[in-house]
Amino acid sequence: MVQIKMPPKPIDNNIGYLELKNNNIYCSKVFLSDLGYSTKNKKISLEFFLSNLIHKDDSNQFRNNYFSFIKSNLDFRQSMLIESKNGKYKEFVCTTNHDDINFNNNKANSKFLFFNKRKYKTNKKVKKSQFYYKETAEMTSTGSWYVDLIKRKSYWDQQTRRILEYPEDYIPSINKSVSYYPKESFELVKKLFVMCYINGESFNTEIKMLTKNNREFWAKVKGKPVFNDKKKIIGVRGIFQDIDETKAKELSLQRTSNIIASQNKRLFNFAHIVSHNLRSHTSNLSLVVELIKATESKEEKIELINTVEDIASSLNDTIEHLNEVVTIQTSTNKSISPIKFSESLKHIKTSIGQIITKNKAMIDSDFSKIDTINYIPAYLESILLNLITNSIKYKHPERDPVIKIRSYIENSKTVLEITDNGIGIDLEKFGGKLFGMYKTFHYNKDAVGIGLFITKNQIEALNGEINVFSEVEKFTTFKITF
Amino acid sequence: MFLVKLKNSQPLKLLFNMNNKLIELACIIDDDDIYTNLVKRVIETKKLCKNLIIFKNGKQSIDYFEALLQNLEDSKIPDIIFIDLNMPIMDGWEFIEQFTKIKNRFNKLITLYIVSSSINPVDIDRAKSLNSIKGYLVKPIVINELEVIFNKSA
Repeated sequence: MVQIKMPPKPIDNNIGYLELKNNNIYCSKVFLSDLGYSTKNKKISLEFFLSNLIHKDDSNQFRNNYFSFIKSNLDFRQSMLIESKNGKYKEFVCTTNHDDINFNNNKANSKFLFFNKRKYKTNKKVKKSQFYYKETAEMTSTGSWYVDLIKRKSYWDQQTRRILEYPEDYIPSINKSVSYYPKESFELVKKLFVMCYINGESFNTEIKMLTKNNREFWAKVKGKPVFNDKKKIIGVRGIFQDIDETKAKELSLQRTSNIIASQNKRLFNFAHIVSHNLRSHTSNLSLVVELIKATESKEEKIELINTVEDIASSLNDTIEHLNEVVTIQTSTNKSISPIKFSESLKHIKTSIGQIITKNKAMIDSDFSKIDTINYIPAYLESILLNLITNSIKYKHPERDPVIKIRSYIENSKTVLEITDNGIGIDLEKFGGKLFGMYKTFHYNKDAVGIGLFITKNQIEALNGEINVFSEVEKFTTFKITF
Repeated sequence: MFLVKLKNSQPLKLLFNMNNKLIELACIIDDDDIYTNLVKRVIETKKLCKNLIIFKNGKQSIDYFEALLQNLEDSKIPDIIFIDLNMPIMDGWEFIEQFTKIKNRFNKLITLYIVSSSINPVDIDRAKSLNSIKGYLVKPIVINELEVIFNKSA
């Protein structure tokens, strides 16, 4: 609250007052004439005074002060605007005692409220700026707080209480500050706070806070040290601003930008792949043409023309692979629907049943933590199929393949983990290229080097992530974070 | 064929075969069967060298060279190697790295050329930075230029 400094008190014999006696209020002559009314003492009601005379911004505070005074003899001093007869407001300072007057002798049963006309109009400005301050605080959802390090107390304004969803009479305390933040942000705030009161460093951060109703929201928290005359830090003052809406927009923008960046990266890679893979065929074609031109023998020419057929067919394969990749990029807006891992796995087991039996593969699945995911069903199947067939393809020669599949939640994201007991892969050597196109690392004849590339693209097209862990001769784990 | 000049490339006059000597053994490391068959045909028709060995990836060839070290036989050590970059199991870069470690033990000058369809500047710059690489040839190779290379290396 803004403290209003009193001007030098005008000592004046004509003092306006209200006399409070047996639930009645009497208005003094001087007070009435100050307001432009006739000069007889007059009985008025509290309601009338509150709703018709006193300015609405001041009436609540006055009511509180009034009852505390009546019931508990709590003295107060309040400045306020009171409407005079001509409709203009005049400033008064209301006090419960007066240096010059002692009525107690003759009016023992009465209590008095004195109203001194303010000679200086400073209050008006303060009132006005207080109005703007309140308005600004409310419209920007900014609350202020102060922590008194000497008294070890903390203070909030009403706006802070409102932001944090605490009742208006809630008294904050330093000890309870842990409940104003989620765990992870509390540690950070504590650090900033300590740095502030030890080193005098101001802070300004965006952090998650916790309301009384346990609702998390993003807040801007600013703080700065408060010094005494001897330049010693005696407190920390600052603001909380509710920036949840802005932050949500910022985060969604950040997400969009990440998606664009990753799509751009994929497109760039794709351009390289296209250029490289198509070039290798076209360069073979030009070489054949050159050879055909150079050779005289008819038989050799015919033989070379046959080579063109081979080139055409491998060019076709490449185009098909590239096509598959393009389809991934363009079909992410395809129907995403809830699908069960168990359902998807069942389909795969049926479609590659022969391979599974032939290789004596054991598939052990556990989807008890989470079984349903919103995804493109075809992708989920393709991902599972690729990883399972990989596990079988690269099984250890000395043992039957065992593939463990489980799903769980990590950082509020669904994770699917597929672990095999196969030959593993030297990640130090091949880790960087594992998901590249046409990269194969084993001597298997049927290794094409397209499966993991497609899998990674499918996962990333839906903003997921795939990671691999492996130990040669022991196991390989693919971890998909959806 | 397109020859990228490297820092240790030789002066032009050496490009011509002065003494009509034939290269004894050339080596091609490339996983593209069609390509290797075509080059083989070129080499045979033009009689560019006496013998040719072909490997399908870096690992195969490194295995060959390591075995050779146990029992050095001059006729089995190639005078010139053409290596592709993009290959399964062990790619060109890895081969070059491993080969550079052992090449001095052969007591023979072995010339190394990269032959790739990659026109990625990253690859070309990387090749330029390696002293062990004589040249970077971008596919498609041109028969005449292949002849020049063989002749100057003989």
